Amino acid sequence: MNLNVEHLCVSFSEANIVRDVSLRVNNKQFVGLIGPNGCGKSTLLKSIYKVIKPRQGDVYLSELDVIKSSPRKVAQKLGVVGQFNELSFDFTVREMVAMGRTPHKGMLETDNQEDDSIVTAALHKVNLDTYAGRSYNSLSGGEKQRVILARVLAQQPEFMILDEPTNHLDIKYQLQILNIVKRLDIGILAALHDLTLAAQYCDYLYVMKEGQVAASGKPEDILTKELIGEVFDVACETYRNPVTGALGIAYLETR
Amino acid sequence: MQTALVPPSEPKPKQSMIHSRSGFMAIIAVLLIIAVLSVGAAVSFGQVAIPFSQSYRILLYHITSIQIGDIHDLSSGSFVDIIWKIRLPRVLMAMFIGAGLTLCGTIMQAAVQNPLADPYILGISSGASLGATFAILIGFGSMGLLGQTGLAFWAFAGAVGASLLVLILASAGSKMTSVKLVLAGMVINALCTAFANFIVYFANNAEGIKTVTFWTMGSLAASSWDKLPLISISVALAIFFFLLQFRVLNAMLLGDETAVTLGIHLGAYRRAYMIITALITGVMVASCGMIGFVGLIIPHLVRGLVGSDHRRLLPASVLFGAIFLIWTDVIARTIVPNVELPIGIITALIGAPMFMYMLIKKGYAFGGQS
Repeated sequence: MNLNVEHLCVSFSEANIVRDVSLRVNNKQFVGLIGPNGCGKSTLLKSIYKVIKPRQGDVYLSELDVIKSSPRKVAQKLGVVGQFNELSFDFTVREMVAMGRTPHKGMLETDNQEDDSIVTAALHKVNLDTYAGRSYNSLSGGEKQRVILARVLAQQPEFMILDEPTNHLDIKYQLQILNIVKRLDIGILAALHDLTLAAQYCDYLYVMKEGQVAASGKPEDILTKELIGEVFDVACETYRNPVTGALGIAYLETR
Repeated sequence: MQTALVPPSEPKPKQSMIHSRSGFMAIIAVLLIIAVLSVGAAVSFGQVAIPFSQSYRILLYHITSIQIGDIHDLSSGSFVDIIWKIRLPRVLMAMFIGAGLTLCGTIMQAAVQNPLADPYILGISSGASLGATFAILIGFGSMGLLGQTGLAFWAFAGAVGASLLVLILASAGSKMTSVKLVLAGMVINALCTAFANFIVYFANNAEGIKTVTFWTMGSLAASSWDKLPLISISVALAIFFFLLQFRVLNAMLLGDETAVTLGIHLGAYRRAYMIITALITGVMVASCGMIGFVGLIIPHLVRGLVGSDHRRLLPASVLFGAIFLIWTDVIARTIVPNVELPIGIITALIGAPMFMYMLIKKGYAFGGQS
């Protein structure tokens, strides 16, 4: 599935948080969304996955009109990995992951064998096979985030949005989550904080500043010291990493 | 990273007894059996103790017309009348009220995503008290039979009116959130209590004030067969309805945003659930006053047993609540000879220590296993 966002505007009372943003994610493309805190990338993503109603603009998942369709219809195609949060009520890991089946089930339908095996497979994919009976709230941050990812996997989405899923995670879990997602081979739009990780995993990048797209293109083309300096307000030098051959960024003193 | 992968040949992770399907069915079966036996046992207790064997025979005869031994033996005493006309409707009432309060508590806790919620959180208790106080002290209470229906009517009207006010207040201005709901509930509570106290203060009616006090402590003493249909049908319908809503209820516990990504927009559901629970609680409060702690504590207790998944939690907690209230009512009418204690005192006396224990006990994680 591909994602088309056209001229999206979001405003809260008087403030325009997202101003006329258009972007496109082709099928099986891993597209990153980067930008400093408060640039509107989270708001943009939330209005794509229907939590916030945009003031104007269109969002299409292939043929599906996301804004006009029911949440259920959208959830059958679109999975969202947000940041994990504490729950006031606890669930077991397996119950959490099984909730990913919600959009595919009628109100009266109970989970069948197929759902069970989907849930088991999702747990396996994130290496949490042995955690099924554990309490979600007792897990560490990295484990919780993997449970959330497993829930989205159980949703069997054809497109996935990652809303800063790797915040506060150890580098091991950041890599693990991005690797799992990358291997899914579906269209992905991900808000990421770490620029080197973004450069490493994304096929294409959109850079946001003050609610607008400041630049877009292949990571190695647009992640220049001039752009990083302008958008993130830090001085840096970019280089080719001698070990991996990938793009490296060395941050210098803040101006 | 690859080394962290668990080989697929690893044995299937074992699930605890209560989280397996057969274990859960066993729990439900046991609770059902206990509920049925409790009804039979509970009618034997009271000012007049009736042997178990006799009460079961009387119940069996009345329900199925099967005679065990000589039934005329039994009818010779007044046992049949005591059991059939006085105690059975009361025990059944306790059963439905217990189930209903627990159901409403569970739903409220999910709807406001707050473990401290109970059926009265929407200002229902204070609204009902205000209505009842109004009815008792401003004159509808003295009109005999009409007065009785008047009291129930005003309590119901107060409960529903207060909860509608809370709902309106919570969704005024911006989107309804669970925090706003809880706060709105507190505000309306304070307001209704103030009005009720105002009436009591100026009422100069000692008998009436005593009635008000008694009413706010809850009692099943006024139960009778003709009050039962309304309660039983509304509670049973609500249970049936919410059993079908388990997916939405589960999603509610994850919060609004996650629920949307799972395809459920909570706003409309939350409002509908609130209104349904407000109506049911209003009906219950109108017929038996306020019985505290049941709706708060039983859901937590049962979560510790079967987890937070509403597919398991709802049936188990409803049965548990029914059994709990049957026995607290037995205690209320037998613990002090020749005196009927208000049941609200008993539920709080049992409920509070239970809750303390759950708070202190290590590992109670509001539904999960640690």
